[in-house]
Amino acid sequence: MAKVPTLNASPQPVTPTASPELPDARPHAIEVRGLTRTFKGGIEAVRGIDLDVRTGEIFGFLGPNGAGKTTTVRMLSTLLPPTAGTARVAGIDVLADPAEVRRRIGVALQEIGLDPIQTGRELLELQCGLYGMGEAQARARAQELLELVGLTEAADRRTKTYSGGMKRRLDLASALVHSPPVLFLDEPTTGLDPASRLTVWEEVRRIKGAGTTVLLTTQYLEEADHLCDRIAIIDAGRIVAEGTPASLKARIGHDVVSVSLDGADPEAIRHTLGTLPALERMVQEPGELLLYLDNGPALIPEIVRRLDREHISVGAISVARPSLDDVFLQATGRRLEGAEEEP
Amino acid sequence: MTEVTLLGRRAVREVFRLPEATVPTLFIPLFFLAVNIGQVSKTFPSSTPFLHGQGYVGFQLPVSLMFAVCTATSGLALVTEIDLGYFDKLLVAPIRRSSIIFGRLGADLVRGLGTSTLVLLVGLALGARIHSGVPGAVVLIIMTALWGVAYAGIGLLVALRTRNVQATNASFLVFFPLLFLTPNFVPFDRLTPLMEALARANPVSYVIEGVRSLVLEGWVPGKLAICAGVIAATGLLLTWLSVRAIEGYDG
Repeated sequence: MAKVPTLNASPQPVTPTASPELPDARPHAIEVRGLTRTFKGGIEAVRGIDLDVRTGEIFGFLGPNGAGKTTTVRMLSTLLPPTAGTARVAGIDVLADPAEVRRRIGVALQEIGLDPIQTGRELLELQCGLYGMGEAQARARAQELLELVGLTEAADRRTKTYSGGMKRRLDLASALVHSPPVLFLDEPTTGLDPASRLTVWEEVRRIKGAGTTVLLTTQYLEEADHLCDRIAIIDAGRIVAEGTPASLKARIGHDVVSVSLDGADPEAIRHTLGTLPALERMVQEPGELLLYLDNGPALIPEIVRRLDREHISVGAISVARPSLDDVFLQATGRRLEGAEEEP
Repeated sequence: MTEVTLLGRRAVREVFRLPEATVPTLFIPLFFLAVNIGQVSKTFPSSTPFLHGQGYVGFQLPVSLMFAVCTATSGLALVTEIDLGYFDKLLVAPIRRSSIIFGRLGADLVRGLGTSTLVLLVGLALGARIHSGVPGAVVLIIMTALWGVAYAGIGLLVALRTRNVQATNASFLVFFPLLFLTPNFVPFDRLTPLMEALARANPVSYVIEGVRSLVLEGWVPGKLAICAGVIAATGLLLTWLSVRAIEGYDG
């Protein structure tokens, strides 16, 4: 992961708080305190995170590859014991009563867990059976879920013949057989084409509409922004920011003016624009310079004037509201976008 | 329906849908049966005392039966499941983890019954006769299949411990010393002292001896009891180790 050089900024953590927005009387579906996982060789994948996920919300866990998202989900879903800390899911302690936690959760992991030898219908019926349903009930529930995720036509084909999107939808359906109150989705759209991604989003919203609490991990900013009620940004095993997407962006508090360099000398631009009023900082990105300042639109004429005065020719100048990537940048000192497509 | 039945049914379905996983395991036993008989039949004619009036095929048939059921097929299926992520799906279901093992062993029993029946039929076609009759043939098939179930624990154990397809596949090789350090070609008393000592220390020898007694001698309670005891002890030990491994499995 390449570190983006910053001209005058060091990482500024966005103070994580358990519930930074309006107080919510709803009970927490997931409560995590000091959760830690250290692997052999001393690799600290998750370093003492605290987390409160409210009942009925979609909570996003946003971070790059290797940030600790999947390890956290695996601990919360009882697949991996924590090294330290506590976690309660649906009111049950994951260490004290993992079997009861399993009854109350649905899990769709990053690696789509399907048996290629079975048909979609067989897989769902088996899953229903494992959750204690009788044969008739399992058949009916499997049919219901197949219809729900639009796989009735492919239901009697072996899953190895399914496309990536179909597999993901079936995996999602298999996590829902017992209508769990809490659903974990680990990077549910990674590797999917845009159309399939939208289908999964719709499905996740529908699941939330049915009252299910959803904790999803993602490395896609757009996904976190559009889908999640609240998000936690995780980096190197620590939560560095938490809140609603809007509140996190609001904490940045300024506009982002992008000056496309188009061959211009960034140092000359920095020198020319460095004294702009209300300029908080400048960040050089490949091919552009980003200016973080208040009231960006009003300052565009001044920026143009100064560049013109110094005979500096640039490409486009645009202004935008801060994005979650800006939040990530402020908290970690580097961008998430671009790092997300690592192999 | 219990989770073991559900998972067993799935594993059995897998046996029938993936014949390519089972058919190759029949090649080695049938190949060895044909080759060994072809090479040794004249050396050991039916008048040889330890053959009890049968051709050498009757002596070799139990060895081929062992070959047919001692596979790493279940271990390979399990490690593939681990690889594909479906294993995690089963681990987060509210079931006893041991049921995953017992489901697999159920499929091994079905596979073992099928393959041992087939090898027995080939042996009969090549001239073997079951001295204990049809009931003896049924017991022979059941004992062989149960030995296959017991032996499957090795593959399952390696799959769970290593989570590696190659290592699990290689676990099949364990059977070669186990099978060849036995009275597989001649009885104990015809082996060199060192080989005899090794063969007598090898539990597989007693499984072969028990199954062989059904073919050559009829009902020999002592040999059958020892054979059943070895199968039970091996099965219990390896299954217990596999269950322990899956209970302690960290995803």
